[in-house]
Amino acid sequence: MAVVAVLTSLAPLVYLGVRLNEFGIEKVLTQTLRARSFELLANSVVLTLAVAAASILIGSFQAWLTVRTSVRGRSVFAILAALPLAMPSYVAAYAFAALLPGFKGFWAAWLVLTIGTAPYVYLAVSAALVRSDAATEEVARSLGLGRWNVFRRVTWPAIRPAAVAGAMLSALYTLSDFGAVSILSFDTFTRAIYNAYRSSFDRSAAASLAAILVAITIVLLVAEPWLRGRLVPTDSRVRKTSHIHLGWFGPIAAALVLIWAGISIALPTISLIRWNFIGLSQADTGELFRALANSISYALAGGVIAAIFGIAVSVLVVRYRSKATVLLDKTIWLTHAVPGIVVALSLVFVSNRLVPQLYQTSALVIIAYLILFLPNAIAAMQTPIAQAPKALDEVAASLGASRLETLKRVVLPIAGPGILAGAALVSLSVLKELPATLMLRETGVETLATRLWNETSVSSFAAAAPYALLLVLVAGIPAWLLNRQVRQSLYNQADIDRILERE
Amino acid sequence: MTFALQLHSVSKKFGGHAVLKGLNLDVATHEFIAVLGSSGSGKTTLLRLITGFDSPDTGEVFIGGRQVAGGQKFVPAEQRRVGFVPQDAALFPHLSVADNISFGLKDLSKPERSVRVAELLKLVDLIGFDERMPHELSGGQRHRVALARALAPNPDLILLDEPFSALDAELRGRLRDDVRQVLRTTGTTAILVTHDQEEALSMADRVAVLRDGEFAQVGNPREIYQAPADIEMATFLGDSVVIDGVVTDGKITTALGSLTPLNKVVEGARGRVAIRPESFYLQPDAKGTGEVVGRQFFGHDALVEVKLPGALIRARANGPFAPEIGMRVTVWVRGSVNFYAN
Repeated sequence: MAVVAVLTSLAPLVYLGVRLNEFGIEKVLTQTLRARSFELLANSVVLTLAVAAASILIGSFQAWLTVRTSVRGRSVFAILAALPLAMPSYVAAYAFAALLPGFKGFWAAWLVLTIGTAPYVYLAVSAALVRSDAATEEVARSLGLGRWNVFRRVTWPAIRPAAVAGAMLSALYTLSDFGAVSILSFDTFTRAIYNAYRSSFDRSAAASLAAILVAITIVLLVAEPWLRGRLVPTDSRVRKTSHIHLGWFGPIAAALVLIWAGISIALPTISLIRWNFIGLSQADTGELFRALANSISYALAGGVIAAIFGIAVSVLVVRYRSKATVLLDKTIWLTHAVPGIVVALSLVFVSNRLVPQLYQTSALVIIAYLILFLPNAIAAMQTPIAQAPKALDEVAASLGASRLETLKRVVLPIAGPGILAGAALVSLSVLKELPATLMLRETGVETLATRLWNETSVSSFAAAAPYALLLVLVAGIPAWLLNRQVRQSLYNQADIDRILERE
Repeated sequence: MTFALQLHSVSKKFGGHAVLKGLNLDVATHEFIAVLGSSGSGKTTLLRLITGFDSPDTGEVFIGGRQVAGGQKFVPAEQRRVGFVPQDAALFPHLSVADNISFGLKDLSKPERSVRVAELLKLVDLIGFDERMPHELSGGQRHRVALARALAPNPDLILLDEPFSALDAELRGRLRDDVRQVLRTTGTTAILVTHDQEEALSMADRVAVLRDGEFAQVGNPREIYQAPADIEMATFLGDSVVIDGVVTDGKITTALGSLTPLNKVVEGARGRVAIRPESFYLQPDAKGTGEVVGRQFFGHDALVEVKLPGALIRARANGPFAPEIGMRVTVWVRGSVNFYAN
């Protein structure tokens, strides 16, 4: 199963290789070594680093504040932190552009993509914080460390793997984002690839640019384990945790989070509502419902298939760690950075040559989703699966449970919240997905995203508004579910506190 | 006679380092045996070979007369019917007490299962705890659930991996009694792996002392304690005073006088004797050769340090009657001693 996932994921890279080979090395070199390429390279790299850095700062801060401190309103802050997931970045880009004339370029793209990807870090880090042992922080304080040093020397090492995994998603998202940078007119590789593909029949330019993009991803992937540090298995015993009282810093922290919520949520929402006053009156409800039904079917199918493959790969990589499984993990990550548009093109190519029956069917779209979003599922599933201690496997075996049974009865129930979170993350991503859906959907099948794109590309902001709103509402449901998972584990923690206090 | 467990020259290496060196052991059915060893002695490795989490490099393992490892044969852990109680209990955190206990009862119908769970809860004295979750239990309760869980499928053999090491002294003592009682009731053959001499000697029918991957001595607790195979064993098993001596006329001449050997000795041999602190008797005597230089009071008894010409000994004395520091005493050795030739 994991092997199928890898083979499917490798298709786009194989396509890229085949294409480059067909064009000839000289032509590819002249294409890549132009000044234009270096400009694109600088744009993409700087944007990616800026967004990832901002996401780590904002996401980790929100997670720490909502999980570890006693600040008032932290349950509301927890909702606010995950809420931007409900708005696809190109919808946010559309909303900002429609609200503020002249909103475009680097800072515009940076802001919109940071809003869209900080929740990835927030969710990963808050889950790690809930599961990490707060007693170690108390011990550190008893050893004379101040708040900041406790965070730096005890808390941060515990959450670093999660924070880096989240920031990695953020960086990969930025590298492969197509909708937002296009709407905000900031030239990165994806936009240039799309334009190169659309403007000529010669696909060597698009393929060459895509090759550089893949190279950047490889650099990121090589750096990742070094950045992440060693994954430390946490103590499986449950301990009483106490929340940190912030004192004077409490109101300041709350104000910071609220200002960010105003920018990231209130502004685009106001814009959406304003344009919908005009847009809704002219909308065709039949169209709207068909698009909605198609979007939801794609999202559910994508979520389920990614969960199944995600579990297989995570268990293999975490439990049976070897050179082969690590390579497998890396391969799947690598393909994630291949922009949706390139994956889509390659699938057109592969299906045309090898399985023409698949061409322009929904199955092909689902395969594209699997390739694109399996890493999201794995990122969410690996940490919880790694946290079901190996001793439990051994006890289960001594009680006569086979490996498959142990997986079903022990690992999956314990890692259940993480797995659900992973599936929800994929469904959300599918709802937001634009380029692959645009290229691969069955003829005549329109989703919310493709309708929105069609209207925006002819600058009819009003006609696009109902689709944008609906997209937010529909993506909002899984976002809420995902958020509830994290909050529920917080409530459980509170119950345990009470029980321990009684004894 | 049927054996619950047999090891035939079992060896295991890790990265060129021999951890177990040709172990042989027969464990009779219903026997409670303790494998005693300090850390690094190979006891955890031995345990993993018996449970089936690892396989030996050479040698054979038989459980209930059935070969489970050795040669081409390897029966995986889930088919061995060996119960396992790990060090930290390792209860399934997502399952209630009842569900933890019934985890291995997949061949029983639902009503049969609840009957069995009720039996085990009674056995480990946790009636009414069915619906509790692991995080709602105290340390001792968790270990008793872990024991019940391991016993539930009626295993041929149960392995206890330092099950009490994380608990406080009082709880540890009580839990030892409980576990011993439970295992006596069920008649399950048990192997306790521990580094705690007191635990091994007080609980087991037989003790196998593992040292550097070899069984240095196997015997009942009394034998092991009273007749250690060598001087290292004597000091490992408990406090001992080691004193040089020479065999003359069948007796051993030492700084403490002439002592009677327990074991066979060769005339004229030089060596050492090991004497337990409780074998000394201190007689207050103004003309005695010993002087009390230190005293540790424990309530029920006391450890008294006595300086003699040519030796410093630690003697256990009855608490309230232990001599004071500065007093002069005559030191007597009760009973016979073990002599180990150099």
